[in-house]
Amino acid sequence: MWGKGILTGMRITMRNMLRGPITVKYPYERLEIPERARWAVVPKYDGEGKPKCTACMACVRACPDHILDLEFTTREDKSKHIERYSYEIGACMMCGLCVEACPFDAIEMSHDYELARLDPAELTYDLLADVDAVPVKRARPAATPKAELARADSSPAELSREEASDE
Amino acid sequence: MTDPRDTVLTHALQAEGTFDPGRAPAGIKRIPSGVDGLATEHLVVNIGPQHPSTHGVLRLVAELDGEEVMNVEVAVGYLHRGIEKLGEHRRYHQLGTLMDRGDYVSGIHGELAAALAAEQLLEVEVPPRGQWLRSLMSEVNRIASHLVWFGTFGLDCGAMGQFLYAMREREALLDVLESVTGQRMMFNYVRPGGVLDDITPDAEQKLRTFLRTIDSYLDEHHALLGGNEIFQKRVRGVGVIDRETGLAFGLTGANLRGSGVPYDVRRDKPYAAYTELDFDVPLGATGDAWDRYLVRMEEMRQAARMCRQCIEGLPEGDVMAKVPRVLRPPAGETYACVESPRGELGVHLVADGSDTPYRFHYRAPSLFAMQVLEEILPGHLLADAIMLIGSVDIVLGEIDR
Ligand code: SF4
Ligand code: SF4
Repeated sequence: MWGKGILTGMRITMRNMLRGPITVKYPYERLEIPERARWAVVPKYDGEGKPKCTACMACVRACPDHILDLEFTTREDKSKHIERYSYEIGACMMCGLCVEACPFDAIEMSHDYELARLDPAELTYDLLADVDAVPVKRARPAATPKAELARADSSPAELSREEASDE
Repeated sequence: MTDPRDTVLTHALQAEGTFDPGRAPAGIKRIPSGVDGLATEHLVVNIGPQHPSTHGVLRLVAELDGEEVMNVEVAVGYLHRGIEKLGEHRRYHQLGTLMDRGDYVSGIHGELAAALAAEQLLEVEVPPRGQWLRSLMSEVNRIASHLVWFGTFGLDCGAMGQFLYAMREREALLDVLESVTGQRMMFNYVRPGGVLDDITPDAEQKLRTFLRTIDSYLDEHHALLGGNEIFQKRVRGVGVIDRETGLAFGLTGANLRGSGVPYDVRRDKPYAAYTELDFDVPLGATGDAWDRYLVRMEEMRQAARMCRQCIEGLPEGDVMAKVPRVLRPPAGETYACVESPRGELGVHLVADGSDTPYRFHYRAPSLFAMQVLEEILPGHLLADAIMLIGSVDIVLGEIDR
């Protein structure tokens, strides 16, 4: 019968009207972000507030967008000094591959999602600048690698040696 | 009586200073006048690329006779990002990030196809829990993708309400996907060797809640849109793709099954855990837009059914095989395909022994579905043409790549 479908439709619309809203009034109300959510990359610090990065460059190589850049100098005693560790968040796709690749658990994906900036130049910034890199011997590799993927064919210490030797 | 157009033209020429009253204006092709001085001609209309009903950036050059489409040409390339070429400069486990941006409505399937191809080259065996999680997440993503199609297909037919309800249901699924994979759309979850991580208790609980209600919601959605006489009038018998046309154009997925060809990659070339799952492959009878609608609606139910089986039957164990950090498959080539919500999504990889593919190509089901539009649109009204673009469910991200 013509019109029956339309009446059914109205009934369904009415039923949905009574179901209540599912949206929230952002920014007054915020939804909870799941534990694994991946947003901007941030460096991690140890208990004394020193960055955990050893300047091994694994993250730089893992990034599909080539937006991480780490410049460091090696002193005579082989210790490294990070001049700058720059990150172009405007091109970051928050894939998490850099974090998974880091053998020392020195970076993580934060939950900060309000990343808009007024000036495009602010979309590239330094994660770390002018700090000493942790010597690999002292850095303890993460107890459980972030990714199962990071089950390296070489141990972190070896890896870092190998990478240091390409410099 | 003077033709009003002459006056306008005269003014224009006078303004230019080239008006010569003794001569007919040159270079102006006048339409042959009919009885009352008016006649019709075919009009070429450019639909898109920036048009909301073209599902992205599809451009149609349609030749219209009044409201009727006489001829149509599809033009693509407005979303071209060179994904295949970029893939030649990405390591194997980075390919997933590119595939996510191909068919962005169902990223898991793209990632899975790339991962399967890399695994075939590497001869890696994925642990059972990884396989089942792949199937589970594929099906979750399939429902989410079909819900987008359902909502927007209604919009193309002039209905509005179901879009919001479909998005509401999809939201629950995106929450599940976000909790498991970390992202709502660009998941980067399926990796060569398995999946990134296990399902979270929170996601499992959300998914169970969703699966309890989805069937009744789907009934409701179907009653709202499919039960509406106006909608039925618009889609029944319109845009028929017969068996032969479907096969000749290389259609796959719901578009081909709507025409009655029983081809489903999940059943015919099983991957992940599909050999152990019990599901039906719905088929259409005539291949019109209504059949494609019914097939997709039924696929959502079947996907929900598979999700239930996956949650219940999830085996214990690892989710990821032991694979090296940098994958260097031996030289060779391979093709792996999955059943994405749009059809057979395949990845062809040629490896040369280095850590990046020598050639990375992918077969996008939407590309074939889009080409069939040139065949089926002529003879339909313009409004039906818009509906038919919706009915073949294309995603421009994977067409242009
Ligand atoms: S999240 Fe992905 S794109 Fe962003 S810096 Fe890390 S590897 Fe690069
Ligand atoms: S320690 Fe981690 S963050 Fe530092 S360079 Fe190595 S991979 Fe990158």
